Amino acid sequence: MSITLNEFLFVSGLLFTIGFLGVLLRRNTLIIYMGLELMLNAVNLALVGFSRFNQTMDGNIFVFFIITVAAAEVAVGLAIIVALYRKRQTVMVDELNALSH
Amino acid sequence: MELETLLTAILLVPLGSAAMIALFLRRGGYAAAAVSVVAAAVILGLSLTFLLTWNGVTQEVSTVWLTLGSYEVTMGFLVNYQTATMLFIVAFVGFWIHVFSVGYMNEDESKGRFFGGLSIFMFSMLGIVLANNLIMIFVFWELVGFSSYMLIAHYWDKDYAAAASKKAFIVNRVGDFGFILGIVWTYWQYGTTNLVLLDAQLNNDASTVLGLLLACGFIGKSAQFPLHVWLTDAMAGPTPVSALIHAATMVAAGVYFMARIFFMLSPETQEVILWLCAAMTLFAGLCALGQTDIKKTLAYSTLSHLGFMGAAIGLGFPSLALLHMAMHAFFKATLFLCSGSVIHACHHEQDMFKMGGLWRKMPITTLTCILAALSIMAVPYFAGFYSKDTILSGAWLLAHTDGRYYVIYAILLLAALSTALYTGRMVWVVFFGQSNSDNAAHAKESNLFMTVPLLVLAAFSVGAAWFLEFDVSLLPETVTVALKHGYATITQADVVHHSHYLLLGLSVGVMIVGVLATFFFYGPGASEDKLQRRYGLVYKILHKHGWFDDVYDAYVVKVQQRVADFFGFLDLILISGFMVRGTAGLAGLLSLVTRSFHVGSIHGYVYWFLAGVVIFGAFAFHLI
Amino acid sequence: MTDLNTILLQLAVFIPLICGVLLFLGKRLEMNVAKSIALSGFLSPAVIALWLWSEFGAADKGAGGYAFASSLDTGLQDAFGIALHLGLNGIALPMFVLAGIVGAAAGLHALQSRAERLVTYLQLLLFMLGGLMGVFASVDIFFFYFFHELALIPTFIMIGIWGGQGRRVAAMELTIYLTLGAMLSLIGLIALYAAGGWAAGAGFNLIELKKQLVAVDANTQAQIFGLLLIGFGILVSLFPFHSWAPRGYAAAPTSAAMLHAGVLKKFGLYGLIQIAAPLLPKGVEAWSSLIIWLALGNLVLLGLVTMAQRDLKQLIGYSSVMHMGYCFLGIVTMSVIGIGGAVLLMFAHGLSVALMFMLATSVYNRTRTYDLTAMGGLGKKAPVLAAIFVAGTMASIGLPGFANFWGEFTIFVALWEQHSWAVAPAVAAVVISAIYGLRAVAQIFYGPPTQALSAVDETSPITDITFSEKLPAAILLVALLAVGIWPKSVTEPLNHELVNQVVFKNPVVEKPADALAQTEPSNVSDPRIPSS
Repeated sequence: MSITLNEFLFVSGLLFTIGFLGVLLRRNTLIIYMGLELMLNAVNLALVGFSRFNQTMDGNIFVFFIITVAAAEVAVGLAIIVALYRKRQTVMVDELNALSH
Repeated sequence: MELETLLTAILLVPLGSAAMIALFLRRGGYAAAAVSVVAAAVILGLSLTFLLTWNGVTQEVSTVWLTLGSYEVTMGFLVNYQTATMLFIVAFVGFWIHVFSVGYMNEDESKGRFFGGLSIFMFSMLGIVLANNLIMIFVFWELVGFSSYMLIAHYWDKDYAAAASKKAFIVNRVGDFGFILGIVWTYWQYGTTNLVLLDAQLNNDASTVLGLLLACGFIGKSAQFPLHVWLTDAMAGPTPVSALIHAATMVAAGVYFMARIFFMLSPETQEVILWLCAAMTLFAGLCALGQTDIKKTLAYSTLSHLGFMGAAIGLGFPSLALLHMAMHAFFKATLFLCSGSVIHACHHEQDMFKMGGLWRKMPITTLTCILAALSIMAVPYFAGFYSKDTILSGAWLLAHTDGRYYVIYAILLLAALSTALYTGRMVWVVFFGQSNSDNAAHAKESNLFMTVPLLVLAAFSVGAAWFLEFDVSLLPETVTVALKHGYATITQADVVHHSHYLLLGLSVGVMIVGVLATFFFYGPGASEDKLQRRYGLVYKILHKHGWFDDVYDAYVVKVQQRVADFFGFLDLILISGFMVRGTAGLAGLLSLVTRSFHVGSIHGYVYWFLAGVVIFGAFAFHLI
Repeated sequence: MTDLNTILLQLAVFIPLICGVLLFLGKRLEMNVAKSIALSGFLSPAVIALWLWSEFGAADKGAGGYAFASSLDTGLQDAFGIALHLGLNGIALPMFVLAGIVGAAAGLHALQSRAERLVTYLQLLLFMLGGLMGVFASVDIFFFYFFHELALIPTFIMIGIWGGQGRRVAAMELTIYLTLGAMLSLIGLIALYAAGGWAAGAGFNLIELKKQLVAVDANTQAQIFGLLLIGFGILVSLFPFHSWAPRGYAAAPTSAAMLHAGVLKKFGLYGLIQIAAPLLPKGVEAWSSLIIWLALGNLVLLGLVTMAQRDLKQLIGYSSVMHMGYCFLGIVTMSVIGIGGAVLLMFAHGLSVALMFMLATSVYNRTRTYDLTAMGGLGKKAPVLAAIFVAGTMASIGLPGFANFWGEFTIFVALWEQHSWAVAPAVAAVVISAIYGLRAVAQIFYGPPTQALSAVDETSPITDITFSEKLPAAILLVALLAVGIWPKSVTEPLNHELVNQVVFKNPVVEKPADALAQTEPSNVSDPRIPSS
């Protein structure tokens, strides 16, 4: 059977959902972060698929932007998490609620 | 000297004296006394100059004091026969009481304050006497009230003096409440408050309510029912103050005012005043029998005689009221000064029944007191006789056309009886018999400062009215014109002329009955009040003067203060509580609700984020 | 000479502000130098104000009746029509002088008060004084509001830091309540600006606005006036928006209370008289019955509440709230007499309430309590203080001889002409004020010394009033007496101004012709003799 665009999108959607549910339901900050990365990469996959099946380079170019920004974001985010761990000795989200009323 | 300058000087000299004492001489007792007495002498001198040189023509001068649009307040002098009479009384009696005070207050520590107060009083009183319009009268009316307040509170470390001064001022203010309404109404109704201009427009045909409102001032100042409760308490002040302010002049200011504005009083107003004052005459006279304090007895006597004057106004004879006011000033001042002399000699003992037998120790005081007593009891040819009996004749005269006035005549005659009773009681108990206490036993005659004024005023109590019958006059002629006229119109009326001997007999009879009754009932130099012992209930009613004071006190404590506290509570709870703190509470409540959204957990915020996306999406797809 | 006077007017507003700033810079100054700077800052406005008062009669009163006028473009003239336009007219003049005199007294009192961080305290007072002088000298509405805020902010800080018991709460309540009032009035003022048509160039200039707003319809006038009434009413403690006043003043330090109760409170009334009433006469009419009822609420209800007070400062605070009722009654008549009386009373009341607050502090310094029931017999130890206190009380209850009487009486006269039913309750308030005033005097000074007093006396002997306390009291008392004896000094310029304003009615009663022609005095005869 031939691979059509739909298969790409299906996989992309699946990855996105997994990542989103990870953000919603996991308590460990690092796992949430991985979920975020999953979501971003799911979008990357969808873009590549569109680019290939529409015979255009636009999607691929956009993927590079996303990869760059994701990398920068991870660097900053992980730095914050490490500093937070040093201060609070935990990465569990339900223990990091000092901003509540 | 020109009239205007003379009168301005008369008015401003006491003010200058008061200012000098207040600023420089507060601690210099004798210096302050000297300044004040000199000022009083200057006033007397200037007044006599005026009275002897005035040609009898009514004159008026005024200056504008304040203008706002068409509203003008002027200050000015109106000089007519009434002014002349009152001016003489105030200046003459005032001067002699000043002299008396020097002797009476010689051991007092706060002479400066006292004499400053006397000077301010003279200034305020002269202002009322000379004023030419209602607003100016009111200004000085209030100032007189203030002087009275200050002087009653002279012994300010005593609670009862403080309470009495407060009461006097506040009760006067209640009278002023009606007075202000009357003045404001007069201004808008007649376009002016000037007495001359009002006189031209009115002829006893002003509205009754207006007249009664203006009479409120009289009721307050001259202590008529129902605002009479302050006068007896005012006896807490030093005796010269009681003599000058609360007997001779200030309380008479109300009567003077009524006579001045007589043309504004409709017949109905006069009727109301007549019945009120006649009732007071009898009531106060009887209450005087229920007092053991000599000054309180005299205070009730003053109330009674003010009632006589008010009744004269109510009967329609303002110049008779002035005549009685003048005579009353002389004999009442004498009586009060005698009581002061006695009190001073007995080391501030004021209970009559602890005195007794003073005729041996204080002959001059006794003599002057007896002379004044004879005058107040209306013994023929004494000053009091001419004025008091003429009022009775006036009632008799009107009774011939309207039978109701026989009731008035009866009431006034009974009041005359009561006068004889309480005066007789006072004289027999205080001066005759044996001494009832150590203080009385060691009394001796007062010094010259006190006895000379007594003699002068007693002489006037005897002969001040001789100008009515004989050609001898102790008073300047300008003073007597108005008084003569009023006297003549009554005594020469046919009705009165025919009943002359009947009326004379009744009055003299009443007087003799009173004197003898008290001699036999109380006994000379009695040491306790027989009425109290034998007829306790009657005595109690008289002593408490019908429980007026208790009713008023109960009103103040139970009603007024409770209402005030209630409103204070409401203000605290409703306005500060509900309104202000309530709004703050509402804001707090709101904040509680919005605060609950901030859960502090990332998951929660993500759910919110999701919800937001959904809503935006619905907007975008036109689902909402 | 006119130019000098114009400059003097500007100086009167700016000298206190400059002195305040100088005290900032010279934080390391020696105390005496700082005190001298502050003293000059307090006294110069008073001196200038008195001088301008004497010069006012002869001064050239240009367009709109303002003398000593000057205008400084602050760069906002073209965009919004705002300029620093200063000037005095007959209504502003008494208030300007009031601010100067009370400022001098408050400043003198502060200088000898031995407060902590005295320099900061004096600075805040100077800023407040500068703001007050500016309020009454402004012809431009924007700067009128601006100076008011400039004067109000220091009050909050002073109460919060130097106040007495319960100062934190009182400062918060005062801040929020008065800011609410100020904001409502700001909205009203901007509405005025909008109604004047900002394109037409009137901007915030009062003189121009007067010309523009004549044509506005009654409904709009009523709406704008309603905003201004409530806004200014809150600032003047109109019933029922008065709760901030008693507790605020009780907690405030003396000089702040003197300036606030004495001068700043009059800002609202001044705004109503100078701005709202002339520009929105139909608005006043629409709201008149509400104003009368609320003013009577001030007088009678709050008068009764005052009678229930046991704390001296709260008594004086409630009393000052009560007397504002008279001024509102005067304003509502919209007549020359009523408004004149209101301004006269504002002037007098400012002086007398400042005096009373000062004396309350003097009493506290000797008895260590504000509780009236614990005091008694102070008169024996401090007779001069007693005398001055009695004088102040007599002034505030309207005894003739002090300026308050003329204001109150004139308002009664004005009120009778239009709303005669309201005069009786208003006069009843006079009796009420006598009751609580004299009661306070008796409780503090008369009678034998109480136990509490004797206890205090043993630890620190009670002395009579000192010279440094006497001086500010004397200033206020002399002003009260001077205007009380010679009210023309205030009413002359006031009268000219009010009569010229077409919007104020001038009711005339026909005066009868002079009737002194009669030679026989009618009072000699007794009319009731029947002709039998």
